[in-house]
Amino acid sequence: MKIVVLLSAGRHPVSGAPVLPRMEAQAIRIAAALGEAVGLHAGPDAEAVREALGLGLTHIEHIAVADGLDPVPALAARLAAMAPDLVLAGRRGQGGPESGIVPYALAEALDLLLIPDVVAVSGGPDTLTLDQSLGRGALRRVAVRGPVLATVHPDAAAPLAYAFGKARRGTIELVGAAAKATDVPEAVVEERPYRRRPKLVKGAPTGGSAAERLKAATGEGGSATKGRLLVEPDPEEAAREILAHLRQIGVLADASKSAK
Amino acid sequence: MTRPRRDPRAERASIQVAGEARPRFDRTARRTGSGRPRRDPRAERAGQRVAGESRPRYDLSQTVRFDAAVITEAQPKTAAVAPPKILVLENPAFLVAVVPDAPGGRLSSHDRQVLGAARALAGREGGVAILTLGPCEGVGPAGADRCLPLEAVEGYDPASQTARVAAALTALAARHVLFPESLDGGDLARRVAVRLGEPVFTNAEVVAANGLVRPAKGRRVEQRVAPGMLATVAPDAVAEYGGPPREARLLSVDGEAPTPSPQKNPKRIVSAARVPADPATVPLALAEFVVSAGNGLTDLDTFRQVVAALHATPGASRVLCDAGLMPRHTQVGASGTVLAATCYFALGISGAPQHLQGVAGCEHVVAVNTDLHAAMIERAGLAIVQDAQVVMPALLRLLEQEAGENA
Ligand SMILES: Cc1cc2nc3c(=O)[nH]c(=O)nc-3n(C[C@H](O)[C@H](O)[C@H](O)COP(=O)(O)OP(=O)(O)OC[C@H]3O[C@@H](n4cnc5c(N)ncnc54)[C@H](O)[C@@H]3O)c2cc1C
Ligand SMILES: Nc1ncnc2c1ncn2[C@@H]1O[C@H](COP(=O)(O)O)[C@@H](O)[C@H]1O
Repeated sequence: MKIVVLLSAGRHPVSGAPVLPRMEAQAIRIAAALGEAVGLHAGPDAEAVREALGLGLTHIEHIAVADGLDPVPALAARLAAMAPDLVLAGRRGQGGPESGIVPYALAEALDLLLIPDVVAVSGGPDTLTLDQSLGRGALRRVAVRGPVLATVHPDAAAPLAYAFGKARRGTIELVGAAAKATDVPEAVVEERPYRRRPKLVKGAPTGGSAAERLKAATGEGGSATKGRLLVEPDPEEAAREILAHLRQIGVLADASKSAK
Repeated sequence: MTRPRRDPRAERASIQVAGEARPRFDRTARRTGSGRPRRDPRAERAGQRVAGESRPRYDLSQTVRFDAAVITEAQPKTAAVAPPKILVLENPAFLVAVVPDAPGGRLSSHDRQVLGAARALAGREGGVAILTLGPCEGVGPAGADRCLPLEAVEGYDPASQTARVAAALTALAARHVLFPESLDGGDLARRVAVRLGEPVFTNAEVVAANGLVRPAKGRRVEQRVAPGMLATVAPDAVAEYGGPPREARLLSVDGEAPTPSPQKNPKRIVSAARVPADPATVPLALAEFVVSAGNGLTDLDTFRQVVAALHATPGASRVLCDAGLMPRHTQVGASGTVLAATCYFALGISGAPQHLQGVAGCEHVVAVNTDLHAAMIERAGLAIVQDAQVVMPALLRLLEQEAGENA
């Protein structure tokens, strides 16, 4: 089975130092469990993704694309030539525009099936089973046929440990440096230093006083003020009250439904 | 010019309340003698009170004579009784479309925020149109002027869902289209964007007619553009629509007939099945419902049975984890896991600040504790002052009995 992991040049969110984005490191782990995988990076410099060699890849292909150019045409051309069974990418990049549009653009360009937010992949070349995260630990198990592009969700298994020896033995190969007619500059947008904005406080009344907002923020506002207090009830009575309350909130299935 | 001579006895007799065995005098009655009414500071203060607020507020500019008619009584009634008028927008200058997630046919709070953002973009002239896949309730009060229900796609078929939404959006010719930046909404937005060949402005934190703002480069910079066609809105960044309910008039667009999906090689998705989270193994930070044990519990076997019977995820306070009675990864609190659960059920936990920090995000808290003055009892929406050791078996018995009745 042929697997390609898309590697982008990430930046550490705090220090800004070059680092492999965590979701791509998780993608490498998923790929390494399935078989031999190749990394693919389009960018001016391959040093940015060298870290991936220590995290489970043995070989990375690098397409030289000048800074500020859209990497999608170059990646699409190379992927079409490689014809992989599975392409893994991060859900969002890190340190760049972080828009997560690159996998979608690739899927459209190559007419690939795209399954987003995958946490685990199993199976072989003809039928793959992908576990897609639906949030809160729920999954959708999708069985697919044919080549597929999947983006990795942060809930996937943690990346493999970095191995220095493997990182030294791994190879980076420059391929298809000439991306001639396909040069498309990335859209330029106005940028300014980030300004933190007040977070919306859930449950605070609009136009309420500062005291009301504080109460809503510390969780004293909602349930606590309307709270019910039962002092020394009969244990059976207490149990009934608790179950009724849990059902009313909706975290416990109704008795009639739970029985089936 | 001589003032009439006062007769205190007669005055007193005149204000005596009749018909009582003990002499009582009504001193608020207007005196005939001096003419000046007696002031009643309490009544004056009450008259200045602004009606209809839970916290007392007083309008000091208003001077009320105690003997004037009380004006506050009638006021709040008219405001509360009048039914909210539904705003009707006949000919919107342009449309702002919203494609919500609407899980289970109900708007999530994120969806409402996106509708609020769309309302801000639409301003006075524009209209907000909501495009729902399948029926959806409560869209008018959330700020939608128009409603366009599309046929839901059965099964997991993102390609035909995208085709359907893209076709409807083209037919609707909306000036802006907003999606929630959630798992489903963000996915659909990007699919629609590449299908229409339009750029999408993702994860906008500020939505206004003069510009959208999103964080980038690890929140070091923010990018600002004039509102384009497609954008996704970050959660908890924009306020929900707070105005009067809107019309949500049903729309239908031509060409909405589901296009035969132009897939070259169909049936690439063989099957898709939903696997619900297993509460016993789901990581604590993701759990929906956590039942937690504290130092007040001695019978942990019964506790584990209760957790299993309630289909919850087990948690514990630090005391139990330090003692090795519960595994470390179950610890809730500042040095353990910060929960995002909907409901937290605390058994025998005092509610130390370090513990409550982990619970701050939980919407509902239920507590059982023997101590009426425990902080956990104060935090809880349903607080039960009782020995947890006897409540747990009662819970188990009740659940068993219910299961037996329905078997
Ligand atoms: C730096 C630091 C970090 C910390 N981080 C955490 C953290 O992350 N998480 C955490 O949990 N703690 C943390 N702690 C510890 C915290 O301060 C408290 O000590 C701890 O939370 C108390 O746990 P408890 O409520 O289970 O025990 P206790 O405080 O002993 O409370 C037991 C409660 O059970 C009640 N009770 C007794 N018998 C019964 C009965 N039969 N039925 C019902 N109720 C009964 C009692 O009334 C009492 O309220 C931290 C402390 C420090 C200093
Ligand atoms: N220049 C690139 N070369 C290879 N893969 C990339 C590149 N840019 C983005 N990707 C992949 O696309 C994902 C999403 O990136 P982005 O669209 O920039 O948020 C990343 O996690 C990578 O897997």
